[in-house]
Amino acid sequence: MTAPSTSLTQQMMRRRPVIGAPIAHGASDHLERSIGTFQLTLFGVGATVGTGIFFVLSSAVPEAGPATVISFIIAGIAAGLSAICYAEMASAVPVSGSTYSYAYTTLGEFVAMGIAACLLLEYGVSISAVAVGWSGYLNKLLDNLFGVQIPQALSAAPWDTTPGLINLPAVILIIMCALLLIRGASESALVNTIMVMIKLGVLLLFCVIALTAFNTDHFQGFMDSGWAGINAAASTIFFSYIGLDAVSTAGDEVKNPQKTMPRAIIGALLVVTSVYLLVTISALGAQPTEEFASEEQANAGLSVILENLTGSTWASTVLAAGAVISIFSVALVVMYGQTRILFAMGRDGLLPSLFARVNPRTMTPVNNTVIVAVVVAILAGIVPLDYLLDMVSIGTLVAFITVSVGVIVLRVREPDLPRGFKVPLYPITPILSVLACVWVLRGLHWYTWAGFGVWVAAALLFYVFWGRRHSALNDGGDGYIPTAVPGEDDVLVVRPKDAP
Amino acid sequence: MTVAVGYLAGKAGRSALYLGAEAANTLKTSLAVVTVVPKPWTTPSPARIDAEYAAWADQLAADSHREAQASLRQIAEGLDVSFHKVASRTPGEGLLQAAKDLSADVLVAGSSSDGSLGQVVLGSTTDWLLHSSPIPVAISPRGYRGSKAGKLVRVTCACSGTPESVRVVERVRALAERLDVKMRVVSYAIRGRTMFPPEVGLHAEDSLLAEWAKQLREMLAKLKADGVVGDDVELVVVTGNGWDEALDDTEWEDGELLALGTSSRRTIKGVFLGSHGAKIIRYSPVPVLVLPS
Repeated sequence: MTAPSTSLTQQMMRRRPVIGAPIAHGASDHLERSIGTFQLTLFGVGATVGTGIFFVLSSAVPEAGPATVISFIIAGIAAGLSAICYAEMASAVPVSGSTYSYAYTTLGEFVAMGIAACLLLEYGVSISAVAVGWSGYLNKLLDNLFGVQIPQALSAAPWDTTPGLINLPAVILIIMCALLLIRGASESALVNTIMVMIKLGVLLLFCVIALTAFNTDHFQGFMDSGWAGINAAASTIFFSYIGLDAVSTAGDEVKNPQKTMPRAIIGALLVVTSVYLLVTISALGAQPTEEFASEEQANAGLSVILENLTGSTWASTVLAAGAVISIFSVALVVMYGQTRILFAMGRDGLLPSLFARVNPRTMTPVNNTVIVAVVVAILAGIVPLDYLLDMVSIGTLVAFITVSVGVIVLRVREPDLPRGFKVPLYPITPILSVLACVWVLRGLHWYTWAGFGVWVAAALLFYVFWGRRHSALNDGGDGYIPTAVPGEDDVLVVRPKDAP
Repeated sequence: MTVAVGYLAGKAGRSALYLGAEAANTLKTSLAVVTVVPKPWTTPSPARIDAEYAAWADQLAADSHREAQASLRQIAEGLDVSFHKVASRTPGEGLLQAAKDLSADVLVAGSSSDGSLGQVVLGSTTDWLLHSSPIPVAISPRGYRGSKAGKLVRVTCACSGTPESVRVVERVRALAERLDVKMRVVSYAIRGRTMFPPEVGLHAEDSLLAEWAKQLREMLAKLKADGVVGDDVELVVVTGNGWDEALDDTEWEDGELLALGTSSRRTIKGVFLGSHGAKIIRYSPVPVLVLPS
């Protein structure tokens, strides 16, 4: 690799072209386009509806009372603002890198690397944390069903409050996800679809049972907590909407991405919001608001409501099974997103091209998936992650802000670029989206910011010493990334009758 | 502004007259029937044979005129039809000369009678025309008797994806808009033969074909995205094990016209049929229009 002749500032500011971006030496140029709108929508739902909805009510309802419904709507709108910004960017720049690629296209290489650090943190820590949570639910499910539990030594990290040896179920979950992802993207999407259907089914079952005990009296004193309470609850609830951005990591693998991506993001937002509202309304109608604050609800979430209503434990077993499946799909989609972001970075030359090598048979980045699985499994199996979770929120919100700013930048720089979807009420929507994220960010602690800053700084140092010298933009790389052509599905393909 | 049809009694049948009348109807212009007869030896000569030869040529022209008139009486009602006799050393040159003198929009010719009915078969004259004409040349299938609708319904443009062929698509679009008919763009991907002994495996050509079809698909989608064709234009990629199969697998409507450009291998302006174009024409069941570059 020859020494770049351009100055550091020029390198930091250079942007990836929207069409015809170069491929780094040794990287594969594309993945297989196999995912359709429906499966992609369920990707978004799968990544978003995790365990949040099972537990968020026990912290939100004491703050806002019955007006938690309004908090959900407000949080949905706030998250929806960034979601539609994602929809526009995904339709204009349909590649797998999500926010990282959008930042690279609009704000330059340096910012892109910083955002990449945010995303890797967000996705990496989420998978580990989710896997650790899964191990807890699995234990509970086994306990409910068979009365057995996995020994403490094999279900807790060495540095947990009650130390163990390794969190084996978490590691197994990650290995299962990795195998599925190596097998193929469309296979993973299919499995995810099934799991999301089960997950939504379990939540609907909850609603049906809870609605049998619906009592309008529980909604009395609707606005008693006032706007302060509603706002506080909304900012808690906001986090249960995070995950819609996972859709945008599938840019290289969906059919007709210019149309599919915005549809899937907005579709997922609508599904998630309506499911959340249904669950909230039925839960609020089923029991008095004071009961949400009880100790056991904080520990066992929605299943307590069902146990109280049905007077038996089968309902809580169903919910625990729902949670096990639900978390599996979260881990799968988030891990998928992680590998695709690394793929995009490897292809752009900002990471070693090892990350962007695709197995020609399965059309999946195998090396990349294995590396992610190993790192994440070590994190999940050994490191307790509770204190890292706030850093995930910062990473996500910074990514949201970048996308909203990116929408404005791209509109100014490339007004004629074909976009399958345009943000309504431009430029108000992206600006409001930025404000909403800043509003949620202000509640985080300074030490979270400090930890976050150290991580991003490390990534940027890597860029200064390695990335900028290997970026595919230095020498044009090995060719050009084939850009998805809008409207490809309008073209009819006639094949001979005997062809497979 | 007219449609010129080459017609000679006893040659190539009446299919060209039907196509010419249809074209003139669609273009709302006049029809000029051109008969090319051998150029007699004009040097004064005492030999009787030359005078006989000239008389025979005149007779041939008169026969052609009469036959053409008889046919057109039924099919070209309300059309402004004129008849022209051109003396030339070769039929192709004569037709081009006449087309130039009449400032024709398009030159229509029939298939050779060597082929089977319903196919476009190039004879020596049409083959020559397709390698030298400066104006579009339309060729009717053998035995063509016009569409049931009596007019052109759809224009299909065959497009290979080269920049030249994209320009052809643009011109066909202009034509389709002028004639107010539907348009379709078709690209063909034909499988190469399996190598024997199969040193690269038996499926090497399959993956090539798949890749070719994929690229054509993207190319066609891009035509629409770039606004080269309108939103209502049908886009089709046809793959096949051979050109015959691919052309058979394509859906053809009654009153369809297949338009294609000429090879990009030629530098000067004019029609020059390429190898793919020749194969498409050979298996086309509908009249073909070849546009010069």
